[in-house]
Amino acid sequence: QTWDMPTPYGDTTFHTINIRDFAKDVSGATDGKLEVAVHSAGSLFPHSEIKNAVRSGQVPIGEFFLSTLANEDLAFGVDSQPFLATSYEQAAKLWAAQKPVITELLAKQGLMPLFSVPWPAQGLYTNGEIKTVDDLAGLRFRAYNPALEEFAMMAKAAPVQVEASDIAQAFTTGQVQAMITSPSTGANSKAWDFVDTYTKIDAWLPKNIVVVNKRAFDRLSADEQSAVMAAAAKAETRGWEMSKKEAADKIAAMQENGMHIVDPSPELEAGLQKIGDEMLVKWKEKALPDAMSVLQAYQAN
Amino acid sequence: MSDPVVFSILLGLLLVLLAGGLWVALSLLVVALAGLTFFSNAPTGLVMATTLWGNSHSWPLAALPLFILMGEILLRSRLSQDMFSGLAPWLGRTPGRLLHVNVLGCAIFAAVSGSSAATAATIGRMSVPELTKRGYPESLILGTLAGSATLGFLIPPSVILIVYGVATEQSIARLFIAGILPGLMLVVLFGGYVALRAWLNPGMIPAEEGTPSLRDKLRASRNLLPVVALIGGVIGTIYTGVASPTDAAAIGVVFSLILAVASGTFSRRDFIEALLSATRTSAMIAFILMGASVLSVSMGFTGIPRNLAAWIGTFGLTPYALLAVLTVFFIVLGCFLDGISVVVLTTSIILPMVQAAGIDPMWFGIYLVLVVEMSQITPPVGFNLFVIQGLTGFDIMKIARAAFPFFGLLLLGVLLITLFPQIVTFLPDAMGN
Amino acid sequence: MRRLLDKAYLYSAGLAALSILAICLLVSAQVCLNILARLGGPDLSFTIPSYADFSGYLLASASFLALAHTLRHGTHIRVNLVISRLSERPRWVLECVTLAVATLTSFYATWFAALMTMESWQYGDKSTGIVAISIWMPQSVMVAGLALLGVAFLDTLIESLRAGRSVIVDHTVE
Ligand code: NA
Ligand code: NA
Repeated sequence: QTWDMPTPYGDTTFHTINIRDFAKDVSGATDGKLEVAVHSAGSLFPHSEIKNAVRSGQVPIGEFFLSTLANEDLAFGVDSQPFLATSYEQAAKLWAAQKPVITELLAKQGLMPLFSVPWPAQGLYTNGEIKTVDDLAGLRFRAYNPALEEFAMMAKAAPVQVEASDIAQAFTTGQVQAMITSPSTGANSKAWDFVDTYTKIDAWLPKNIVVVNKRAFDRLSADEQSAVMAAAAKAETRGWEMSKKEAADKIAAMQENGMHIVDPSPELEAGLQKIGDEMLVKWKEKALPDAMSVLQAYQAN
Repeated sequence: MSDPVVFSILLGLLLVLLAGGLWVALSLLVVALAGLTFFSNAPTGLVMATTLWGNSHSWPLAALPLFILMGEILLRSRLSQDMFSGLAPWLGRTPGRLLHVNVLGCAIFAAVSGSSAATAATIGRMSVPELTKRGYPESLILGTLAGSATLGFLIPPSVILIVYGVATEQSIARLFIAGILPGLMLVVLFGGYVALRAWLNPGMIPAEEGTPSLRDKLRASRNLLPVVALIGGVIGTIYTGVASPTDAAAIGVVFSLILAVASGTFSRRDFIEALLSATRTSAMIAFILMGASVLSVSMGFTGIPRNLAAWIGTFGLTPYALLAVLTVFFIVLGCFLDGISVVVLTTSIILPMVQAAGIDPMWFGIYLVLVVEMSQITPPVGFNLFVIQGLTGFDIMKIARAAFPFFGLLLLGVLLITLFPQIVTFLPDAMGN
Repeated sequence: MRRLLDKAYLYSAGLAALSILAICLLVSAQVCLNILARLGGPDLSFTIPSYADFSGYLLASASFLALAHTLRHGTHIRVNLVISRLSERPRWVLECVTLAVATLTSFYATWFAALMTMESWQYGDKSTGIVAISIWMPQSVMVAGLALLGVAFLDTLIESLRAGRSVIVDHTVE
């Protein structure tokens, strides 16, 4: 049988490349009895509909950006909390803390997580160097989710909502002057056309997740089930390595095209960490027990 | 059943439904449901509901009803009449006269709007009644409008280039810049064609009265001031960064409303009529877009477009031959699917093929836009044709016949950018350094 | 009954028209705020949270709520090439068949849209932006619009059967 699999990102994104390899592994391990047909770049369902399409069994499997579910439960969005987990090591620890909780949350919707792979750490894009948090004050700052809007306000910047497709135009016309995003997005949108400085503030490492419909999974034979699980475990390991390589490659690409790649000054780091800590305090006030348990598990070790 | 057989069955069903007089949106929907039910494993009803919902609340689409409302307001306020009487003295000696307003109007509006349907609806709302009243030949009015409105996709901003840029990770800013010269090239081709037809057959273009002096011309030009202010204001908000391209549509409505009220000929009743008429036109277009999106998903589940594209990949063609075959493939698919669906459904397969043949993916994006533009004016499924049928009441086959020469000109455009790729690459390369 | 239905179509379209106006107001307000921010600096920077999401949902309600009125007004387009060449009687038969197909399709769509909305409600699905909107709310508007479209097709079918001729005049030229 064939599993149709909608994914939101384009074919050259490392997440999609990883998923195509996953599909090949599944097909190989089941002697072609289970094929996964990847529909990339939102060509089957728009990104916002993929989770629900898997839940209701329209497709057995799909990928989406995990923290888009943060409005349903903050436990889904811990990985997008600024300055909480800022390296691959910490991100792995956070995922270990997050996985059992969201597995339970997703199970209530008949979904089962297969694997999750982070984007490279988010950096700061500006014209001119940012030496302290005060340099951010007054800049028009791209915010596309609640956390970023809060961050912008606390840095005394002006949050501006800009859709991903309008980024280049927004910078060129001065609608925004600063943004935080991954080196992948920066390099792919040729950020050097409109900004000159990338500061490696490593704000957070958000993840994509691949989920499967539990009923569809249960209908597979035992052999097929273990083939899928094995391919998923392999894809997770491979994906994290790809992500690290992606971070290095894309930062190098930006440098080659004339952008200044800057390590944050100690003052900037301390100021950002302070904002992150304050944001976490507010986050705790809103978090339900399951989200809190993720944080406690993460901070415990 | 093999893909060509399935494709033919669905195609036959579509033609039967359309010919039987079932509404276009529902014909697309029924064919989509048939495809899902008989040729895929997907649960038909749920997929349809998700798709109808998922494609009905997208932010870039929100500009469409606003632009249509702007056209309705301008139509009822004398502003559109003033625009034509202001331009008439200047275009009096150009072969084709006011028909060039269709071409240039669409080109200018395309710099504000990202879609060709919005361009056709807004410009057509003003120009069709005015040109018909002045006695211009119907086929050229319809043809220039259908053809030139396709510029909405090529001249930035452009919905298709955003879709392509996101799917293939090309820089959208560069794609936009790459679209400028080919867009101007099409303006010249379209304008040249109109002039040629008029020059070959001077009797078909109505004469303008007298030969105005420069002073008369300047006096008449005062009529243009409101329209120039409107266009300048809208484009200004985009390029100073206070409005995104979608925001600009709302600014267009506000500005045209202010101008209409200031002109003293626009009552509250006119406004309500304009609003209701815009509501109906946008519901009509939205309904067809929804039907088309379900058909697109249905095709995605059946895998037919992907398989056909992959089949072309097995030919092992040289770059020029590959482009020739792809052009035929896109034209055929574009007759029955809307252009954006064709791009979305086949890019995964076709782009690697194209890159392996050594073709620049940015150039290919512009090529795709030209091909998609053709699909906008080919029957039975062509969005510009639907919009113009909505405006004029003429049957789409009649409009498609009038638009056919412009289909040919778009094909010529594809040939030109293939032979002289610099038309596409010159500006972005200059920008890169 | 006749007057009640006509009113339902018209008021529903009125709500759709108000949705379009609301998009216009929302977006214009944000652009004014952008201009204010430009002039007044960071102290005068305000944003309307999730205005793109709200505009999207208003667009959906504008589209769905106007479907029935648009049909009755003859603005939904179809290809007339073949049917316009038929004589009155076969044309009427064909019209009744297409109306029946259209009625079934609309109610089929309504049914599954309602199922989807129920599911969004049961699971408490939220929008992903700055303001968390419960998805079932805008989705119910979609269900209402589709249901009214189904009613309008059925209404037209019954009218056509009773009258013995086609009753919808394609009214695209205004
Ligand atoms: Na455009
Ligand atoms: Na077409």
